Amino acid sequence: MSERPGTPAKAYRRAAAGLGGAGVVVLLALPFYLERFWLQAGLFAIAAAIGAIGINLLTGATGQLSMGHAFFLAVGAYGYCALAGDGTDGLAGLGLPGWLAAVLAVGLAGLAGGLFSPIAGRLHGAYLGIATLALIFIGQHVLFNAHGLTGGYNGRAVPPLNLFGLTFDDTELLVAQVPFGAVEKLWYLGLALLAGGVLFARGVLRGRPGRAMNAIRDHRIAAGVLGIPVARHRAAVFVLSSMYAGLAGVLLALVFQRTVPEYFGMALSLEYLAMIVIGGLGSVAGAVAGGVFVALLPQVLNRYAEGLPLVSAPGTGGIAPGEAARYLYGAAVVGVVLFLPGGLARLVARTPIHRPSGETR
Amino acid sequence: MKHRRQAAVRGLAAALATLVALTAAGCSSKAKTGDGKQTGAGGVKTGEGVTDTTIALGALTDMTGVYATLGKSVTQAQQLWVKQTNAAGGICGRTLELTVRDHGYDPQKALAAYTELEPKVVGYAQFIGSPFVAAVKQRVDGQDKGLIMPQAWSASLLGSPYIRVLGATYDVETINAVDFLLTEKGLKKGDRLGHVYFEGDYGENALKGSKYAAEQAGLTVVEQKIKPTDNDMSAQVAALKQAGVKAVLVSAGPRQAASLVGVAAATGLRVPVVGNNSAFAPQLLGTQAGPALEKMYWFASPSLPIGADTPAARKLAADYAAAYPDDGLDNGVVAGWTAATAFGEILKKACEHEDLTREGVAKALLILSAHDPGFGMTHDFSDPKSPSSRQSVVIQPDKKVPGGMRTVRQPFVSEAAKNYTP
Repeated sequence: MSERPGTPAKAYRRAAAGLGGAGVVVLLALPFYLERFWLQAGLFAIAAAIGAIGINLLTGATGQLSMGHAFFLAVGAYGYCALAGDGTDGLAGLGLPGWLAAVLAVGLAGLAGGLFSPIAGRLHGAYLGIATLALIFIGQHVLFNAHGLTGGYNGRAVPPLNLFGLTFDDTELLVAQVPFGAVEKLWYLGLALLAGGVLFARGVLRGRPGRAMNAIRDHRIAAGVLGIPVARHRAAVFVLSSMYAGLAGVLLALVFQRTVPEYFGMALSLEYLAMIVIGGLGSVAGAVAGGVFVALLPQVLNRYAEGLPLVSAPGTGGIAPGEAARYLYGAAVVGVVLFLPGGLARLVARTPIHRPSGETR
Repeated sequence: MKHRRQAAVRGLAAALATLVALTAAGCSSKAKTGDGKQTGAGGVKTGEGVTDTTIALGALTDMTGVYATLGKSVTQAQQLWVKQTNAAGGICGRTLELTVRDHGYDPQKALAAYTELEPKVVGYAQFIGSPFVAAVKQRVDGQDKGLIMPQAWSASLLGSPYIRVLGATYDVETINAVDFLLTEKGLKKGDRLGHVYFEGDYGENALKGSKYAAEQAGLTVVEQKIKPTDNDMSAQVAALKQAGVKAVLVSAGPRQAASLVGVAAATGLRVPVVGNNSAFAPQLLGTQAGPALEKMYWFASPSLPIGADTPAARKLAADYAAAYPDDGLDNGVVAGWTAATAFGEILKKACEHEDLTREGVAKALLILSAHDPGFGMTHDFSDPKSPSSRQSVVIQPDKKVPGGMRTVRQPFVSEAAKNYTP
């Protein structure tokens, strides 16, 4: 022990550990108490957070604008279906075990990112944004028309994941008298994946690659002069970001229980960009906060909009709940961008718990 | 660093201990106690969404997305029905409650809304968006078992005992439309028949119907696939003209139908054009294509239009106009009303058998073989593999009729549609 007891550093650590412990207990206990709606909304938020970490590595930390994030989510989601499906529904399926299919689907998303990385290595800024936009259009066309693989307009059913003899479907599993369905089981899987994703991304950002990525974002030519292999780093971070998107796609598919092409459109890509702007560019905590905010807010507003003042029942004139939810969502986004220019992550950084000066991390 | 980790481990251990203690004590409201079914007032068995005084229904609609106009009409018609039914004493001595959730045609919101209402309602009187209905199908069939009346007419939704399509599906409707062309518009064996359709569920289901009908009648289908974002049909009209078609089917939106008919009239392709029920909106009559539409456009529909001359239609049109004076009358009103009355009829049947649980509702569904909401069709729910009716009517746009639609062919089922299995 290097510090004397009672130093601010120790108090900070105690508080952090205490808060973290309380947070973990709450998150682990939720499936025992919350109804399916909340767990499902939470799972959407977890998936969004994982995807947002990916795009934050790319856009926030390395400065490469990507509008194609939804495409890689689709690769993950449909890749999982195609690899794990057993072909009994008339669609292409390899019938692999669920866990292997999930891992391979993430790899597939990375491969798709790798195939695109020569372009990502050459273009930057708005040009890269436009180029990645093409991925969305190609992706949508394929998803709607490659019937044998994607099931077309109505999508295809998602085979449940199988891990250590546990099947993540709706067959009831009684844990301490509480029936565990698909969302309850997936909740723990989602938390584990998110924790892994956060730790890995932190490791990347805090190590040499992270510093190189920031240098590329801040001054590409200077970074090159310093000896950073710019093109290689940009290609690598593109692959990594795609893999995060693929993982988010797999998780989303498991929650949806059906992949629908409609979902993986341009609006989703823009939503992911909104998440990192709202959360805070370049930080993992920001991506998670933004992901949770953007994924959760519309669902919660939609549910409770009826109780707001000035909102009338649908069809009686005035503002309908669905519209009110949209206005509020828009206002919240504008409010965050206006008053928290650094994103939600800055909000936490400004709280009274200060890091002790001189602490190296 | 070390003691920080120790603290974290200690925290986690405490967390897990608390968790185990809490759940072992069984203080979670989710813990299982019985199956939730009981016998309530009047000896009627009740389950999810039904109490001694109320029956809760859900409506998953789209009032802010691509199907906003349809969703608004359907929802308002169903709210009107609930109001009138409650004023007349409700069903089974209970008042109806309709909870509406607007998902804006967003898959995530649609699934969230379904999950939210699932434990609270006996079934859904409306669910817009066939991909979303398909998404919950597994859950509905496996465990939820609540009745759903989708506002979509794709044959891919058939087959579930709990998801019941009301009226002819697009393929059956298209077969009937081809029959109309053959018997009344002079289409004959060996002719070419153009078919402009949306990529996706609706258009492709309709194409299946037109191909089947063409095979039966010895026609050749000339396909023109379009996207919902294509609004100018000049290229399609040119291609169809080149191919020498004698008639055209449209399985697209109202805008595409108007463009197609307008361009065809302007370029001299004067052949009859017949659309599906989604390919017309009364607002089109006010556009430049209006006169051409009145002359060479017809569309098939799974029920009589709102302006029809039946007592039910006249009453609905008057009541709806009184309740929502600012909103136009369209076929969404009829669709919503038909679904709601069918749901009401099923609930009444379930009440007669003293079982308002979801199982009871599903059983009542199978014995409801002749429900007539007063729009010319009789619905038969006894076979989950078939649409509730195979009948269509053919309607011609007409400015002079309320709602802009005149029925030119009363409800019929073509021979080909009778023998067709989706």
